[in-house]
Amino acid sequence: MPVSDDDSALAAEYVLGALDRSERRDAQNRIATDPAFAAEVAAWEARLDPLLDRVAPQTPPAHGWAALETRLFAPPDDPRPRSAWAWLGIASGLSTALLAAVLWLGEPMQRAQGPLWISDLVSDDGSVRLAALYDAARGEMRVSVGGDAPAPDRDFELWMIAGGGAPVSLGVMPHTGSAAMAIPEDLRAEMVGATLAITEEPAGGAPGGQATGPVVATALLRRI
Amino acid sequence: MPEIPTEDLSNLLARIALRDRAAFRALYDATAPKLFAICLRLLRDRREAEDALQEVFVKIWHRADRFASGVSRPSAWLNAVARNHAIDRLRQIRSPHTDLDIAHGFADPSSGPEALAINSDDGRRIDDCMGRLAPERAEAIRLAYVEGESYLDLSERYQVPLNTLRTWLRRGLLQLRDCLGPAS
Repeated sequence: MPVSDDDSALAAEYVLGALDRSERRDAQNRIATDPAFAAEVAAWEARLDPLLDRVAPQTPPAHGWAALETRLFAPPDDPRPRSAWAWLGIASGLSTALLAAVLWLGEPMQRAQGPLWISDLVSDDGSVRLAALYDAARGEMRVSVGGDAPAPDRDFELWMIAGGGAPVSLGVMPHTGSAAMAIPEDLRAEMVGATLAITEEPAGGAPGGQATGPVVATALLRRI
Repeated sequence: MPEIPTEDLSNLLARIALRDRAAFRALYDATAPKLFAICLRLLRDRREAEDALQEVFVKIWHRADRFASGVSRPSAWLNAVARNHAIDRLRQIRSPHTDLDIAHGFADPSSGPEALAINSDDGRRIDDCMGRLAPERAEAIRLAYVEGESYLDLSERYQVPLNTLRTWLRRGLLQLRDCLGPAS
């Protein structure tokens, strides 16, 4: 949808960066709510981009990547999930009810509203452990991962297998610590009583959404 | 710097959208020097530019799924993420530029307008169209886009009232749009 010259000029001024702070914020709100205007902004970004051809690359700071990596991928500073896991590790054979209690420690404010389902995945040699707690009413699953990290450039991926169907990826797992994930609406019915599996995949997860790596552990999701 | 083929950058962004850290690392290595240079030119302060570079890559990690390869070139998308962040920051910390010479703080030996050869058809096209504008309009567009000057900065530089400057700059931009034609 073409926009008026006025709007096109405004989009250009925004991309140029010439607007003052409040005008700039107004333009950003407009981008968020007006697709035609947003498209014109994108068009201006493409039009003016060649002006940057003459900006010579500069060596980025030496610590740049390391700082970025720490910020994005380091385990969370909050020690509770990890200590909770350490506790789990020591007390192997812990009752499932206790396991559930441990998993909820991270966020004491939350109260499960419906039935809870739990799964305790342990690799054959015991080096990788993942505990999952699924709150069926909320469609939310919390996982706690412990033990050995995957090989370099590999990630653990969690899968749901229901009723003889193909495994469906639930996502790449953190190397350690805990995470909460929303289970997509269309999977929720199948989650109940499904089998969970962990595989080792290329970093970032299985290409094309199909498990390729060795199966590390599997376990049923059981009601508690 | 050799240009990174568009398909390679699109591919890396697609993999990053799927949380592929190796792809993210490869993208960082390939594009951080350019994105850092863009931040440095706009912010004119090494420390600020270093912080900005990190924020820009955090955004790229989280937003890679919003890059639509059919709509824009990946390098233009990445450059826009960097420019948008740096300009937001610039408008937050300094409005308007104070004394330009003092504010520069560092000398960029390669910042002269002819320091780098234009290396793409798009670059030659925009050069041609910029050449058809009144010289000071073209210069003002370049100063705003590459050096981060605001309307206020520009009206002081050219000694014209802000509204007048704005009117002729908008006219210049529309002229530029019509000369460039539909996006390639």
